[in-house]
Amino acid sequence: MSPLEGPRKPDKLLILYTALLVGFGMLMIYSSTSVVTTVLVKKQATSSLYYFKRHFATLVLSLVMAAIAYRIKPDYLGKYSPVLLVVSLFLLMLVFTRLGITAGGARRWIKLWPSTFQPSELVKLSMVIFLSWYLSRDYFREDSFLISMAPVGLMGVFQVIFLRQPDFGAAATLACITIGLLFLANVRLKYLSALLLVLLPVAYKLIQEPYRWKRVTSFLNPWGDAQGSGFQLVQSFIALGRGGLTGVGLGRSMQKLSFLPEMHTDFIFSIVGEELGFLAASGVVIVFGLLFARGVQIANRMEEKFYYLMAYGISLMISLQALVNFAVVSGLLPTKGLPLPFLSYGGSSLLVNLIAIGILLRLSRGEAPVEKKDRLTEAIERRKAKRAVYGGGL
Amino acid sequence: MTRAVVLTTVIAFGFLAVILRLGDLMLWNHERLSLKAESQYTKEAEIAVRRGVIYDRRGRELALNLDVDSLYSDPSKVKDPSGAARELSSLTGIDYPDLVKKVSEPGRHFVWIKRKLGEREACALRKVLDKSAFGFVTEPKRFYPQGVLASHILGYVDMDNKARAGVESMYDSVLSNKGGKVALEKDASGRVLSQGVQLESKGDNIVLTIDEGLQYIAETALDDCMRKWHAEAATVIMMDPYTGDILAMANRPTFDPNAPGKSSPNALRNRAIMDLYEPGSVFKIVMGSAAIEDNVLRPGERFDCTRGYIIVGGRRYSDVERNGWLTLGQIIQKSSNVGTIQVAMRLGPERLYEYAKKFGFGEKTGIDLPSEAKGRIEKPKNFSATTLASTAIGYEVAVTPIQILRAYSAVANGGLLPTPHIVSEVRTPDGTLIKRFTYPLKRAISGRTAEKMRQIFAEVTEEGGTATKADVDGNHVSGKTGTARLYDPKTHRYSNEYMSTFVGFVPSDRPRIAMIVVVKGAKGAIYGGVVAGPVFSQIAEQAFAYMNVPRDDAIKNNLVMLEDDGRDGTGKAPGWNRN
Repeated sequence: MSPLEGPRKPDKLLILYTALLVGFGMLMIYSSTSVVTTVLVKKQATSSLYYFKRHFATLVLSLVMAAIAYRIKPDYLGKYSPVLLVVSLFLLMLVFTRLGITAGGARRWIKLWPSTFQPSELVKLSMVIFLSWYLSRDYFREDSFLISMAPVGLMGVFQVIFLRQPDFGAAATLACITIGLLFLANVRLKYLSALLLVLLPVAYKLIQEPYRWKRVTSFLNPWGDAQGSGFQLVQSFIALGRGGLTGVGLGRSMQKLSFLPEMHTDFIFSIVGEELGFLAASGVVIVFGLLFARGVQIANRMEEKFYYLMAYGISLMISLQALVNFAVVSGLLPTKGLPLPFLSYGGSSLLVNLIAIGILLRLSRGEAPVEKKDRLTEAIERRKAKRAVYGGGL
Repeated sequence: MTRAVVLTTVIAFGFLAVILRLGDLMLWNHERLSLKAESQYTKEAEIAVRRGVIYDRRGRELALNLDVDSLYSDPSKVKDPSGAARELSSLTGIDYPDLVKKVSEPGRHFVWIKRKLGEREACALRKVLDKSAFGFVTEPKRFYPQGVLASHILGYVDMDNKARAGVESMYDSVLSNKGGKVALEKDASGRVLSQGVQLESKGDNIVLTIDEGLQYIAETALDDCMRKWHAEAATVIMMDPYTGDILAMANRPTFDPNAPGKSSPNALRNRAIMDLYEPGSVFKIVMGSAAIEDNVLRPGERFDCTRGYIIVGGRRYSDVERNGWLTLGQIIQKSSNVGTIQVAMRLGPERLYEYAKKFGFGEKTGIDLPSEAKGRIEKPKNFSATTLASTAIGYEVAVTPIQILRAYSAVANGGLLPTPHIVSEVRTPDGTLIKRFTYPLKRAISGRTAEKMRQIFAEVTEEGGTATKADVDGNHVSGKTGTARLYDPKTHRYSNEYMSTFVGFVPSDRPRIAMIVVVKGAKGAIYGGVVAGPVFSQIAEQAFAYMNVPRDDAIKNNLVMLEDDGRDGTGKAPGWNRN
């Protein structure tokens, strides 16, 4: 279908899948938190709806932001993506200032009245947009090592910060997204494999740090230290295992009674499995799969490389997070703090992922690239021309 | 777009792997994991029991429960640990460093500061403490209103009301009836989810055979005796010789069951049933009974005790003083070792052993108190050259005071060996009788022999006997003295300390009580008749006054009025106006 005569309407299936996941997430957040609310929030909580209400408020805000993202022309996104990236970096650095909040031994949040925000979520999306934009520029050449590997250096900057926080989950996702996009942009495989070689010693050093090493070993044999490092994983197994085919019934989870840490955030999927069973759990996995497939379909419709990369990148970002979360919860990957998009309680994740969906919906409208160049693009092109005259440029 | 296909395939396989893994965990391992889950949702809960009350035979409370406050802290809420600890230290008397450690324990929400506070203490603490960080829990505290009285019988409990000794321990399952553990559903932090599970219960009550009044008389007499003779230890047991009901049982040194921790292990020991000793002459009951029962003596036969000593197996056994030719009765009355050994030699090892067994020596009496000692008598085949002679006069055997008392009770009641016991009834908290204990009696000797032995023992307290001071004004005492050197297990020699014993029953011809008094390490006098006899006499006299036992000579001297229903119109008991 021609971009000019596109449907001009957002993709209905994408909306359906997202709505399914978000709606189901609301249900499960209520189910998993209503009983222990009073315990988790100590005296502040007066109602079993404490988490539900907060999540709902975030959802409303996220939908508004997603709608705004939907209204923005994709090209603007590309043009301003460097700014977006700098803003993300700035917010990420704020974590180390007095605005930063430490929880569970990690500085991952900043105070943002009336709530908190996790900049690493924003970094993921910014990186997808920026990379898509960068990789689709005219000056990008997949056979130039420097040009094609420059994003890796950029990623490195974020990685250093993530590891300082530390937020190993975000670091891993960001690396996967970056490498995935470079792979899609046809960067030479030998460059990419060189990248893996560089990463090896880094990975080695990481697992040498005791708490990460513990996480790795506990993931390989969680029952070995079921009361210590393997506790969370064992509890997750028990939750899933109790569920069986059809689950113990909605609201009847025992594991949510503080046995399973993070049961409403990173491990909400275990509660889904426990209460609603294998059928519902694999249903959630399938919906994420369908969402990814739909995203890829949308991407394949794109004729602009930027749109294509961005659509694919967003699908990849959401699916990767979901996959890693599933894998962690079911013990296929070492435990790391990573929420399940749309389902987990956690404002930053919901906000950023819905914005990403907003962008994807905009792309699904299949509109043509803006013919008329805006002022910024003109200015940039003028400057480029100037540089060419004086022999500058990349 | 081949690369996109590759990447998409990889992701698709990822989703597939997740579904397979979920199938593995949720379907294949469903049962195994469900079992694991069940086990972590339950916890054993201790049922809080209000221990049953212990009453004496007349229904007076000897052990009961008080509701007292215990102070705890939530360390996570203590703002100023050192300040709080200083304040607590001054009010509770607990060491400051310990308190600082307690109130600043990280990650804990509950620590006991002090269990079972005094009323004044609790009051003072309530005024000053920060209510968010400290709190009080009401707990039942075991309380023994009479303090040291009957402490060795009652035993005691620890901070958690766990029985540690005595009746408390022996009848723990009755007193803490319906206690124990129950499985409850819980969440991860241990909060209980189960509803309607009874977590409090009342134990059953126990009625003792002890009489608080008699116990008091016995304890007081022991205190007097300890003071008088500067003795190391002393024991008294009073028993109904017909039933085996223990009426009083006391030891010195003693302890306060309300604060057992303050006493030495020595004071906590119930010597009456736990301490083994060589009894000395009181053991001659075995020789005497055997000789009569088996007819080994000619009527009126006398034994030569003129030399005052006899050498058996190379050892010299002497009498306290030289005697003439003595009958069996005189041998016992004067406690002649020389005579006893001559009779024993005629009996021979087998018969002596047989009668020692018949009187229950060398085995537990079966008293319902924990840690009773069994004692030891040598088997005839193990007899050395001196064992027969020594055993006859109460050496080379190890017995407990309760065993001796039981043997003398058999003589008192016509030859039946009773089972001493301390608990007579179990009742529900509201007083309904659940169980009344009855104990069998076992024949030791014939009634005829018992009667003869009773007459012989009656002569002991008469003129010419060893225990004239044991007699009671108005009632005649039958009994036997024993004075034995203490064997020192460290040096393997006999020391210069003595065990002085008097055991007997009163009134002589129709006994109401049987009693034994044992005094260890008396200074200034050693003989059972001198040291233990007067204690026996003092207790028996007061006990009879308390029990309204008429004097032997009462009827003869018109000291008692015959039965009168008391309905003389005044509503007052007869004799009311007499003084």
